Amino acid sequence: MTPFVVMDCVLLTRMSGLPEAASLRELRERVAVCGDNVLYHHFYETLLRPSFDYPDYHNDFAVWAKLHLADLVLAERFGVLDPYAFASMEELRGTMLDIIDERLATLAVVPAVSRGSEFYFFEADTVVFDTGDRICSPADLAPSVARMSTGSVFFHFIEAHRREPVGVDDFSAWLLHFGEETSACREALRTIDFAFLTLSELRSEICERLAAQCL
Amino acid sequence: MEKSLLMYEACAGSAAIRQLRMLGEKLSGRRVVHVNSTREGGGVAEILSWMVPLMRDLGLDASWEVIRGAGDFYSVTKSIHNGLQGFPVNISQKGWATYHAVNQANAETLRPTLEDADIVVIHDPQPAALLQLCGGRRGKWVWRAHIDISHPYLPVWKTLRTIVKGYDASIFSMPQFALPLPHPQYLVAPSIDPLSEKNRDLPPEELDAVRAGFGLDPSRPLLVQISRFDRFKDPIGVIEAYRLVKKVQPVQLVLAGGGATDDPEGEEVLREVMDAASGDPDIHVLLLPPDAHRTINALQRVADVVIQKSLREGFGLTVTEGLWKGKPVIGGDTGGIRRQVVDYHTGFLVNTPEGAAHRIRFLLYHREKMRSMGEKAREFVRENFLLTRHLREYLILFHSILSGSSEPRIYV
Repeated sequence: MTPFVVMDCVLLTRMSGLPEAASLRELRERVAVCGDNVLYHHFYETLLRPSFDYPDYHNDFAVWAKLHLADLVLAERFGVLDPYAFASMEELRGTMLDIIDERLATLAVVPAVSRGSEFYFFEADTVVFDTGDRICSPADLAPSVARMSTGSVFFHFIEAHRREPVGVDDFSAWLLHFGEETSACREALRTIDFAFLTLSELRSEICERLAAQCL
Repeated sequence: MEKSLLMYEACAGSAAIRQLRMLGEKLSGRRVVHVNSTREGGGVAEILSWMVPLMRDLGLDASWEVIRGAGDFYSVTKSIHNGLQGFPVNISQKGWATYHAVNQANAETLRPTLEDADIVVIHDPQPAALLQLCGGRRGKWVWRAHIDISHPYLPVWKTLRTIVKGYDASIFSMPQFALPLPHPQYLVAPSIDPLSEKNRDLPPEELDAVRAGFGLDPSRPLLVQISRFDRFKDPIGVIEAYRLVKKVQPVQLVLAGGGATDDPEGEEVLREVMDAASGDPDIHVLLLPPDAHRTINALQRVADVVIQKSLREGFGLTVTEGLWKGKPVIGGDTGGIRRQVVDYHTGFLVNTPEGAAHRIRFLLYHREKMRSMGEKAREFVRENFLLTRHLREYLILFHSILSGSSEPRIYV
């Protein structure tokens, strides 16, 4: 059986070049034209960025709407967006714009923020590398995950959902090669709702679930 | 003793160190030269004094060069520094000529090293003109701005921009500090060194000695704000908050900061603070020498609550230091404090003395919550604001600019 190749990834944020948004209308204008990398960063990569893990919402738009724009309705609508449920960035962008348009249509005054609370548009450079670690048997998976960096957990468990086979984490895809004996494990991993976990919490959760299935 | 990564494993965790080793391995042998204007004193020298040895430990051929100039050069660069921070300063043509002449003289000696390097990192404006004077450069050049240049005095920025726009990339500490430039602008937040005198663990007897030395009562709660005596740090607002708390809790307050002898406004603020504190033996206003790092460390450790009630702030490393000591921080809702203090998790953001008093009372009453927030605060700094993260981001930047790829994802 092919061993599991443990990868790692780290990122560095940079300015996107777009001006910051100080109101909901400006946010709409910028979201409509920003690059896919910008949307990708604010929806998918927030967990990898050095910042406080804010478990309420994992996308920056929802956090900004809640903390700075003080529009809780908008925060909830942004917050529920699952970026992994969209087939393309354009589809995600379209949904976001629809939410903003709908909100703007119901408000008498366009919400805005004071200086210092603007939304900054970022993108990131990500470096992906092979750690040299290999996992040879399902029994070694849990202890290996326990030693992984949070970047590895992100790469193999979260971001994997966007790669082929779409919607499946790398651990489950690898365990599938071992047949029926790993089906309970795969099911245990499939039901982890990572939207509410930090990467270190997710690492512990994966280990616990694998251990509970005697792997 | 030269610093090594091994020394940081206990603080930062083995996964973080392994990650650095792997990123470093793939840059092994690359020649990296940092250039600034002073070997000692100031935040940049402090950063380079650990960064260069740790890059070497990772296998990079890293070195640190310092440009040399006379008094008139430093007068001009001080004006440039002030101008970039928004103060209207007049830099004459002669002043700019001095700036270029000193860079030219330094280029004569540094040129072979700089032109041969894979990466040159120029820190702050003083040596920025070296880029134009190294026409045979083969590597990538990065300009690292350590200060907030977001609202500069335009005549100064206009001239400096013509110099820094030629760089391959620039680095800022926070997005709010940056200005548009025609190259990638990376964001690298500051960090703390957990093994420095200011942040290392201290023995309990040393904490007891500091407590006794300043006449602090160990049986009563202690509030501490460490900052220079500056209106933007709102020391008077901290005293107001303390007085509101004291109505219900027998608290003590320490306001400790560095000397203000070369800052007329600092002296004035210190006088106002002394006046506001006079007659209350539980307010301790401490004017500490610049090297009192261990004392500051001890004061933060003996505090129950650390306060940084700034009205304006850059990143706010004193907040990071307080969080690292396992204390929730009551911080002003401004600048980089917002990035570090999260309500009910690592402390509370406040806007008024009343707000600060309210949150201090909450923490002193909910001791268990205060303890768990302190633990979370320390873990938050461990993950995000130790120098290992700072180093990692430089390595990512090096990989990124050396790859020459415009793709956001680089496989190495």
